[in-house]
Amino acid sequence: MADRSDLKSSFNTTVSGRAGELEQVAREILTHPESGYREQRTSKLVAEWFTASGLKVQSGVAKTGVIGTYDTGRPGPHIAIMGELDSLILPGHMFADPDTSAAHACGHHAQIGSMLTVVAGLVEETVKRGLVGKVSFMATPAEEYIELEYREVLRQAGEIEFFGGKQELIKLGFFNDVDIAMLTHTGGETTGTLGIGGSNNGMIGKTVQYIGRAAHAGGSPHLGVNALSAAQIGLAAINAQRDTFRDADTIRVHPIITRGGAAVNSVPADVRMETYVRASNVPAILNTSEKVDRALRAGALATGASVRIQTIPGYLPAKYDARLTEVYRHNAASLIGDDNVIELNHSTGCTDMGDVSQIVATIQPTANATSGNGHGIDYIVENYDLAVTKAGKAMGLTVIDLLSENGEKGRSIAGSFKAPMSIPDYLERMRSFRSDITYER
Amino acid sequence: MNPVDITELRSAVLRTIDNASRDLINAARTVYSTPETGFNEHTTSKYVLQQLQALGLDVVTGIARTGMKAVLRGANPGPTVAVIAELDSLRVPLHPGADVVTGAAHACGHHAQIGSLLGVATALTRPEVRGALSGNVAFVITPAEEFIDIQGRLELKAAREIEFLSGKQEMIRLGTFNDVDMAMMVHTSAGNGDSAFSIGGTSNAHISHLVRYIGRSAHAGGSPGSGVNALQAAMLANLAVNTQRETFRELDVVRVHGIITNGGASVNSVPGEVVYEGRIRAISLEAIEPIAEKVVRCYRAGALAMGATVEVQAIAGYHPMRQDPSMKKLFVRNTEHLFGKDSISIVPDEQTHGGSTDMGDLSTIMPVIHPYANSASGVGHGHDYLIEDYDRAVVAPAKIMTSTILDLLGNGAAGAKEVLSKHTPLMTAERYVELQRGRFTAGTYEPS
Repeated sequence: MADRSDLKSSFNTTVSGRAGELEQVAREILTHPESGYREQRTSKLVAEWFTASGLKVQSGVAKTGVIGTYDTGRPGPHIAIMGELDSLILPGHMFADPDTSAAHACGHHAQIGSMLTVVAGLVEETVKRGLVGKVSFMATPAEEYIELEYREVLRQAGEIEFFGGKQELIKLGFFNDVDIAMLTHTGGETTGTLGIGGSNNGMIGKTVQYIGRAAHAGGSPHLGVNALSAAQIGLAAINAQRDTFRDADTIRVHPIITRGGAAVNSVPADVRMETYVRASNVPAILNTSEKVDRALRAGALATGASVRIQTIPGYLPAKYDARLTEVYRHNAASLIGDDNVIELNHSTGCTDMGDVSQIVATIQPTANATSGNGHGIDYIVENYDLAVTKAGKAMGLTVIDLLSENGEKGRSIAGSFKAPMSIPDYLERMRSFRSDITYER
Repeated sequence: MNPVDITELRSAVLRTIDNASRDLINAARTVYSTPETGFNEHTTSKYVLQQLQALGLDVVTGIARTGMKAVLRGANPGPTVAVIAELDSLRVPLHPGADVVTGAAHACGHHAQIGSLLGVATALTRPEVRGALSGNVAFVITPAEEFIDIQGRLELKAAREIEFLSGKQEMIRLGTFNDVDMAMMVHTSAGNGDSAFSIGGTSNAHISHLVRYIGRSAHAGGSPGSGVNALQAAMLANLAVNTQRETFRELDVVRVHGIITNGGASVNSVPGEVVYEGRIRAISLEAIEPIAEKVVRCYRAGALAMGATVEVQAIAGYHPMRQDPSMKKLFVRNTEHLFGKDSISIVPDEQTHGGSTDMGDLSTIMPVIHPYANSASGVGHGHDYLIEDYDRAVVAPAKIMTSTILDLLGNGAAGAKEVLSKHTPLMTAERYVELQRGRFTAGTYEPS
């Protein structure tokens, strides 16, 4: 039987031979962006790849998710390798869809490439024979927490419960026997490096509706109750809370107005906003959420409007597993050199990988292969060799470390991981974040 | 007693005022040089007392702290006409006449009123006048017309030195006006039209709020997260009030404004207590009500947003002024007689310039007039409000008021009797006091 280094070289050789077509898949997805829970085309493309690679495929998971199972047939750890299907919505991005404005301004298309790269390498017969356990390749929907109204419609129709794709997968039981999870995100750190470690903020979402009273804005404004003024006070009041935010909590509150009035000559009577409340830890999220609600209510009280605040479970803070990170570091260094593997700082962005990280040993390394601002119109993946091929190789080699030699390393890491919460606890916690309260005038 | 020839008498007493004009202007300037804010006009009050006593008047002092009253009794019984002058200054620290310590300054020209009241007293205390009068003239020197220093006056109220926060309000309560039938005064102005004088119009009613936000202090650098910022609460309230302005109707002449009198103790501590003096004015007490409801809602919103507590004390302010048509007519006739046909312009009854005066309060219980002598430059209540024409600010009003009083109380007080016969007061003094007491409220809002 081949030893671990043989497996790795087989893996690398196979992947290198297919690098061109794998990078092409990513580019194909780049030019057909679809936002969360709408990734029909992307989902189909991934399913076809899984099928062609001989994986057992399950489609339509959490609406658009696809899971390809790679089973060695031998007992051992169960690893999830993930890639996110969805794009952002960003008019003006070079690759924005002209109709929907969907755009891959967060590089998820490269994740699908790196995930399929792992598939391509692991299905090679020599490699497969040397491994134990299982790998679930998960193409996950809806990582970007956007289009809240659309997702609320899906929720009410019973199609989803949670707005994040991985959250849905957790709820549906796909993580029940997963031991280890990983996904490589693109990043904008020093070009050519792979980033490891780091952490992410968690968040909750809110939709806010101020109900005032419409009246002729010129003729009889005294008969109106201005819901836009209420919202403005709410926003100003949120800003007035900021000096109470502790640095260590890395709090972010950043509302948008999704409806600001119907017609300029009518006193706005229905004004809507969306916001996140992000922080590095759940108590800080909840504490800040209370302050935000209080501030929003003040807008209603001041103007005599009423306000409906719906709070929606968002993502949990991400904490990445140190031992798993070390395994990954070693493999990443073997590909690009020690100096090009860099430690990440805490990120104040959020991801549903945070939720996964609360349940199983998780890493989310970054392939620093982009230019422009993340979520900006100029965010472009420049280096597909790094973002797709090397990122895929680093994950694949890590899987080999975890599942070869009877899966001892995988078992050890899974065994030493202390999950902050069980899956039932997780679901209970997430559901407890949900509320829908109307404060009448 | 033989009827006195008013025409001849009028010429004689007006000459007295002309002869005394330099002294009257000097008196005004003396008061200007010692500006004192309401209920603190001790120096001014003492000076005016000396002047009145020098004219042989019997003066009651210490009414509402610094106010005074002297009644000149006519030979025959009849109504009592009050001539009013206001003792107090404003507080405008940048005014050239400001007291360097207190910032008090005569930026509303009240000092000229003192001069003109002394002019009327000088004329009417001439021995030959008494016989011509059927009725009395009350010289009422009132404290605190400017409705300012709310917190300080509430302390005086708590110490039972005063109950109401303005001089005339307090004097009505104390019964100072119980034996008075009608009242007049002349205020300075900077350009109410092109004429030398103007009369008519109304003034706004108002209510004040003392708003105290209680947060929680904490180190502003080290642990702002442990604080509750009372200043942010007050600023949000102010912002919220501004959003309400589009709901104010022009016909209600609404004014909402305020000042922060305590905006925090030290910059490196999260403000744990902030005090705001708020004012709402409108054309009537009724028009104020819905505005006050909105404004108090905004005060509460500031507290709710920050998790602070807010105490809101409502303080009874002024009533709109209604000027008596018959008195007005007499004043106009005398002004035209003395200074020419175009010397006075008539302001329509319903017109208000937005300000407020406690002559409005007095006007709820008796006929009053409150004409203006266009004698100043600059902006009223501004740092540049200065009396430019002392002759017009002090001497002319003394002559017009004196002449008007002769018309009211001469000839058997036919003029005053006509005024009274045509006038229906809005309310009695007792009702006024009761109503004002009801306007004081206090509440604490602790958001949950």
